[in-house]
Amino acid sequence: MKLKKVLGIALATTVLLGVTACSSSEPAKTGNSDAAGGDVNGDGEIIIGYIAKNTTDPQPSTINSSASEQLDKLKADGVIDDWTGIMDGLSDANKQVDLAQDCIAQGCDYVIITPAEAVASDPAITNLVDAGVKVVVVNAKTDSTDDVAMTFCGSDDVYAGELMAEYLNEKLPDGGKYLHCQGVIGNSAQIQRAEGITNKLNDNFECIAEVPCEWSGEKAVNATHDALAQYGKDLTAVICDNDDMSAAAQLTCNESGREDIICIGVDGNAGAMGMIQEGTLDATVLQDSIGQITAAIDAIVADINGETVEKEYLVPFVIVTAENVDEYATE
Amino acid sequence: MASNEKKILGVKEDTFRMMMGKYGIGIILIGMVIVISIIKPRFIQPSNLLNILTQISINGLIAYGMCLAITTGGIDLTVGAQLALVSCILGQLVGEMGMNIGLACLIGLLATTAFGLLNGILIAKFNMFPFVVTLSTQLIVRGIAQVISDGQAVSLANANFKAIYSDRFAGIPLPIIYLAVVVIIMYILMHWTKFGRYVYAVGGNVNAAIASGVNVVKTKTLCYTIVGLLSGMAGIIFTSKTGAAQSNIGVGYETDAIAACVLGGTSFAGGISTASGVLLGSIIIGCIYNGMNFLGIDSYYQSMAKGIIIICAVLLDMVMNRKNR
Repeated sequence: MKLKKVLGIALATTVLLGVTACSSSEPAKTGNSDAAGGDVNGDGEIIIGYIAKNTTDPQPSTINSSASEQLDKLKADGVIDDWTGIMDGLSDANKQVDLAQDCIAQGCDYVIITPAEAVASDPAITNLVDAGVKVVVVNAKTDSTDDVAMTFCGSDDVYAGELMAEYLNEKLPDGGKYLHCQGVIGNSAQIQRAEGITNKLNDNFECIAEVPCEWSGEKAVNATHDALAQYGKDLTAVICDNDDMSAAAQLTCNESGREDIICIGVDGNAGAMGMIQEGTLDATVLQDSIGQITAAIDAIVADINGETVEKEYLVPFVIVTAENVDEYATE
Repeated sequence: MASNEKKILGVKEDTFRMMMGKYGIGIILIGMVIVISIIKPRFIQPSNLLNILTQISINGLIAYGMCLAITTGGIDLTVGAQLALVSCILGQLVGEMGMNIGLACLIGLLATTAFGLLNGILIAKFNMFPFVVTLSTQLIVRGIAQVISDGQAVSLANANFKAIYSDRFAGIPLPIIYLAVVVIIMYILMHWTKFGRYVYAVGGNVNAAIASGVNVVKTKTLCYTIVGLLSGMAGIIFTSKTGAAQSNIGVGYETDAIAACVLGGTSFAGGISTASGVLLGSIIIGCIYNGMNFLGIDSYYQSMAKGIIIICAVLLDMVMNRKNR
């Protein structure tokens, strides 16, 4: 291991010297130079920073643990010299901006970030890019992601909304009244999933209420109770912006003897997948979190190897039902 | 009182205890810095030290306000919501209406100061529990922020506005300068003025303070008003830093501020605190965040470590100061 590290450093140094020699007209500038070999800042080491959205919610946690595994492996294989460990953004843009500075101070060449906010987390990314760090944005875009980030690895949330709508169109051809449990208002996933739903849902569906449930299952339960009390058997579906809410809504319906109501959400969390396996939930739209982070890390490895990297890698959503759940469920 | 008692590290025990009581927290800080620097030498480079000081500016400002509230025997839980309020006001005035930045900041500060004043009046004049008052006004303030912003984030990409945070003066990032100015003013206010002595008197023994003719209502009200003003300033820096105005910011920010105060030797019983201690406390919190990232410590352990360090620091403080009091 130690030998590999030494070899890695030696290799990186050689590459660095080579690059410096080649561009002798320009002094060896840190940052900006598109040095091959991945040592972007030219300090002789390849270090990857990892700024998480948070370490508590199910979906970010899935991304974090997969990242942790893959980056440890890259380090063990000697592709990179080190990585920073999971830096917790605590769902706070201010914290993420601080962490970006920490990454710069630690001499990171690449930083992977899952933004907490579309607007407020943006300075984290622009500061990193200004300091010459290559940034890979995962899961959700910030305002200037398209302009400054090396690449974006995520999924098209509009498509997730469309998948939910199409599933309902197929299962409930007669339409009916539905409740919409929303995520945190203003979040890009919330906006885009809603757009997808309106794009594809048949006209015979009628929205009785759009309730801001802030991704919380507990709030979705309250909203579902209210809707059941008010509309009774007219309620045919509950569309939720995520799985925590759809699973909770479905449990509420089932407890009230309304297994016929179709609750659907996005993510493919372990909880929702388990319910599909036992037949208590009909379907979910799986967000391939592991696919997103894998694409991000693959992009960095490609860049280290001097291969071209696309500006965007879209990882598709998949609709998961009882038929294909075993294929996607993980222990 | 034996005359030739034990010696610790070649210093008389009493002197040692006194020094530890006063400077123990500084020693902890130096110890932390040395340990982290040995493991990760990059930690000690000047750019990272500036980075830490810049990062603590927001928490530092809030902590100084919090310190005043705690010294009077109270607490202020509205600080996080005040950040959101000033942020949303700036979002509407600068982002949407294009108002002059200085004027907009002034209006924002006036709003948070007014809520600080309201807290002060409710607590001092009506003798309500600070915890209950600020727990409630916090909800009101955040509610107002949500109404102002309509729950939406407003982008404040205006270069002049972002300069409030990102510009440098003589190579030093502006947030450090704001913090330095506040530290100096607070030091003078707490330790050199009549108002400062009144604050300690009110917190130490309210009956004695009344008996000596201290205007308790005025002193407490002024303290909470200053908390409002300082949180407003922190909110401006926060908003400039993230370039976005939104109502969901600052949740839980009172925790780090209280932690900084406690680390700095501020007593929850009231009447005991130092301006320099609060600064050291804030720097320690900053070093914990930054240093643990440097050491690559898993974030789960980071919050545990933070809790343990705070408890140890307070314990040390109590053990050291038992004999001095």
